[in-house]
Amino acid sequence: MTKETFLHGKHVALGAKMVDFAGWHMPVQYTSIIEEHKTVREKVGLFDVSHMGEVFVFGKDAMEFLNHIVPQNIEKLVFEKAVYCQLPNKDGGLIDDLIIYKIGIQNYLIICNAARIDEDLNWMIRNKKGFDVTIENESNNYSLLAIQGPSAYDLVKKMGYDAKEQESFTIKLAKVAGHKMLVSRTGYTGEDGFELLVENEIAEEIWDKILSDGNEFGIKPIGLGARDTLRLEAALHLYGNDLDENTTPIEAGLSWSVPKDKVADYNGKNVIMNQIQNGVEKRLIGIKMVDKFIARHGYEVYFNGEKVGTITSGGISPVLGSNIALAYVKNIKEICTGATVQVMIREKLHDAQVVKRPFVQKRNIVKTNK
Amino acid sequence: MSIQEKILCSKSHEYLLDNEDGTYTIGLTEYAVKQLGDIVFVELPEVGAEFKKGESFAAIESVKAASEIYMPISGTIKEINDAVVDNPETLNEDVYEKGWLVKIESKAPQSEFADLLEYEDYKEEVE
Repeated sequence: MTKETFLHGKHVALGAKMVDFAGWHMPVQYTSIIEEHKTVREKVGLFDVSHMGEVFVFGKDAMEFLNHIVPQNIEKLVFEKAVYCQLPNKDGGLIDDLIIYKIGIQNYLIICNAARIDEDLNWMIRNKKGFDVTIENESNNYSLLAIQGPSAYDLVKKMGYDAKEQESFTIKLAKVAGHKMLVSRTGYTGEDGFELLVENEIAEEIWDKILSDGNEFGIKPIGLGARDTLRLEAALHLYGNDLDENTTPIEAGLSWSVPKDKVADYNGKNVIMNQIQNGVEKRLIGIKMVDKFIARHGYEVYFNGEKVGTITSGGISPVLGSNIALAYVKNIKEICTGATVQVMIREKLHDAQVVKRPFVQKRNIVKTNK
Repeated sequence: MSIQEKILCSKSHEYLLDNEDGTYTIGLTEYAVKQLGDIVFVELPEVGAEFKKGESFAAIESVKAASEIYMPISGTIKEINDAVVDNPETLNEDVYEKGWLVKIESKAPQSEFADLLEYEDYKEEVE
């Protein structure tokens, strides 16, 4: 059965086009994906991302447990900080990607992908043997609202919370619009922004308040369509497209997130460390189409007449005015930044240039007083 | 007579307008464009290309996906609308005057028209 967030009625009333996504009936667009995309890059946008999973992990061994299931160094994660993590299987392939927040001495919050909540929970339960830890799936008890864009800081300030003390990738208990809630300075757009974890009962009230207070900043509600084009410009991975159980963080170009000096053992460590030292057979690249054709998920990639890989995410870049994609290709030295590859589109090859990721650089500096 | 009264529509959302000189104009229905959202790419065939009824002759892409466009009847491409190739967003504004796709010459037999719907019937079918 398709699930609805507590804001479903709001989306329908706003005239959103609704689609099924990861088992949820979600807004894909309210007016136009391109307009919504530009609103987030230039002003501020509001997203309902309540479909995402919230899992709380706490107990005496919470740190050791998390340290055992992700490549990142949870030992070094301090109170109120967040870290981008992956959940590898024993072979280093990814069950999911997540953000882990430290919200108490022995308390952690995990935000994970909607479609992967069950797999994540099963995996965590299978791995908790020997750890004194409690895992609670609270996904149905919270709504998650994302405020993203250059005016996000000013909007949240207008709603009563001045985030000047809050850096990027941190979480704080704050009072927004008269309600205490967890406020995370994170997002999935490549812009400055906040994600508000609110109780379902007040989700509609907070949604309305954000839209009315955001009016002077030119706020718009943003659907999943623009969420996808925004994250692609920022070259942020989408689980199921760019990440799966047969892809390691090293192959996915996520080496920057994997500590090389972590002492504790974790699932997939052998494979991951071996790839860091000896290289990978396939790797993620970013490409920009030379002509107007659009590379899409599943299209084949060629180099010197040989099939070398597949597009995993592709589409338009409203900001660049050109078409961009992420692809996995054989690890051939010559396929480097500036090289030309070809994408097979409707039985014809079209040139594309290998470019640096992200496709669009973050322009606005996160506003803090530090 | 409004343009909607003159067109026939296919179940795959193309419209066919009889220009009453042996040529027909083909485009995408307003309903289809609305479903697709922002149109960002249009690929049209070359003038002179021949297609049978039901064959894919063009591609239209929205932000989200690529869609093939099929011939409502058999024919030969006589003219293509270069303006929509250069400015695909034209389709979001108007699918008839500015947003038509191709003009074809056709001697298709009546049987090929049998499954095409009058606009009102098409509207009822899709809505």
